[in-house]
Amino acid sequence: MAQDAAGAVGSRVTPQVEALIRAAQRGDHDAFEQLVRAYDQSVLRLALNLLRSLEDARDVYQEAFLRVYRNLHTFRFDCSFHTWLYRIVTNICLDQLRRRKVRKEESTVIETADGPVDRSDVFEEESAAADPERSFWNRQLGHRIEEALGDLTPRERMVFELRHYQGLRLRNIGEILGTSEEAAKNCLFRATQKMRAGLGEFV
Amino acid sequence: MTCNEIGKLIPLYWYGELPAETEEQVEDHLHGCLECTQELERQRSLAAALDRRQMDVNPAFLTDCRRDLLVSLYRDEAQERQKAGADARPFLPAAVSAFFAGLMRYRQPVGAMALLAVGFFAARFTFPSPQVSPSVPAVASTPSDPVFATVRSVQPDANGRVQIAFDETRRRTVSGRMDDENIRRLLLAAARDDYNTAVRVESVGLLKAGSGSGEIRDALLNALAHDPNAGVRLKALDGLKPLAADAQVRKTLARVLETDDNPALRMQVIDLLVEQRDDSMVGVLQNVVQKDNNSYVRLKCEKALKEMNASIGTF
Repeated sequence: MAQDAAGAVGSRVTPQVEALIRAAQRGDHDAFEQLVRAYDQSVLRLALNLLRSLEDARDVYQEAFLRVYRNLHTFRFDCSFHTWLYRIVTNICLDQLRRRKVRKEESTVIETADGPVDRSDVFEEESAAADPERSFWNRQLGHRIEEALGDLTPRERMVFELRHYQGLRLRNIGEILGTSEEAAKNCLFRATQKMRAGLGEFV
Repeated sequence: MTCNEIGKLIPLYWYGELPAETEEQVEDHLHGCLECTQELERQRSLAAALDRRQMDVNPAFLTDCRRDLLVSLYRDEAQERQKAGADARPFLPAAVSAFFAGLMRYRQPVGAMALLAVGFFAARFTFPSPQVSPSVPAVASTPSDPVFATVRSVQPDANGRVQIAFDETRRRTVSGRMDDENIRRLLLAAARDDYNTAVRVESVGLLKAGSGSGEIRDALLNALAHDPNAGVRLKALDGLKPLAADAQVRKTLARVLETDDNPALRMQVIDLLVEQRDDSMVGVLQNVVQKDNNSYVRLKCEKALKEMNASIGTF
C-alpha cells in the first residue's frame, strides 16, 4: 500500500524520508533512487488502474518522476512527500482522463475471436476458466464496471480510485487534489451512487 | 435519522469516513432496519466486485518503466548540461546503478562523436599489438602498465640462474573515435566477452550506433539471441530497432519472442514486430497468445493482432 511506502501518508515527512529528500535536493542520485523505489510501485498501480492501459501508465510514470526530478528543489516540507508526489501524479492522470473524455474513446474492451472481452477479464482468465457460467457473469460484470467507471467525471473517478483502491483518507485526497475534505466526500458519494446505478442487478 | 438519510451515509460509513458520533447513529439504525442493512449489503457487493477488477503491477513491467525512466533522466540531465555549457559526458554517477538493478550500464554515448576510453580487462583478447599501435590515436602504453602473468615453467640451471616461461598480458588503454576501425574491432570482441557482463553491456550499447554495418548487425543478433544477461540482450534489441524490416533480424526477433525468459524484452520485441505490419508474424503472435506464461505479454500480443486485423486464436 502507498501508506507503507515511506512513512504515514498525510503526516509530515518522517526523519528518514526528510534525510533522503534533502540529500536528493543536494544532487545525491542514490537518495533520489531510494525515493523513487519507495513510491514508484504505488504510482504505477494508480496509473494502471485509472487508465487501464500499459502504455498510458508507463507515460504517467515517466512524466511524474521526471517532474519530481526537475522540481524536487521546490519541495519545502510543508506537506508530506507522498502528498506532494501524488499532486503531480494525479494532475498528469487527470489530464489523461480529460483528454479521453474529449476523445470519447475510453474503452477497455478488446476484440477477440470470441467477441469483445474486457481487459480485466483477461487478467482473471485463469481463475474463471474452470467455471464457464461464472466466467460469463464476471465478463458481463467487468463490462458494466468499466462502463460505470467511464461515466464518472475525471475528478469523481480519481477520488474513487484513491479511496477505494489506494486506501487514502478523504482528508488526504482533498489535500492532494487541492480541494476540501467535504468536496472529496461529495465526489465519493456521487461516484458510489453512479456506480450502484450503473451496475444495477449485479450488486 | 430517516432511512433516506442513512442511505446517503452508507457509502461514507463503508469507507470509515464518518465522524464517530454519526457512525454510531448509523449503526444504531442498522441494528433495527432490515432495508438499510440490505443497502449496506449492496455496498459490500459493489466493493467486492470492484476489488476483483484491480490490476497489480507486474514486476517485469515495473523494471521496464524504471529502465525507461533512467534513459529519460539521462537525456534530461544531458540536455541540462548542454544548456549549461558543460561537457556532455556520462552523468548520473555510479550511485544510481544499484537502484536500477545495474541498468545504469544502459547509458548511451551522447552523439556519435563521443570519445571513448576502453580499459581492457586482463588477458582475454588476443589482439596483435602492431595492428593497434600505429593507427590508434593516443595509445597509452608505458612500462608502468599493469602486467598479468601466468608462469608456465621454471627451470633452474647449473650456474645458479633460472629460466622462467610465462604468458604475459599487459593492460593497455586505447582511446579513439567510434568510427575508428580498431576501436570497432575491440568493441566487437568485447561484445563477446564471456566473463564480464559490464563489458558486454557497455560494448553492445556503443555498437548500436553502427548497426548499419553487417559485422555489427551480426554481433547484435548474436547478443540478442544468446547473451545470458537480459541487460545485454535489451541493449542489442535497441540497436536492432532500425533494422526491424530486415528478414534475418525479424527471424531472430520471432525466435526471441518465443524463447526469451524476460517478459520486458518480449514486450519490446512485440512492439518491433508489429511496427512492420508483417502478416508472416501473425502465426508467431498467435502462438505467443496461446503459450506465453505472462499475462501482459499475452495481452500485448492480442492487441497487436487486433491492430493487424488478425484473429487472436488459431483454428
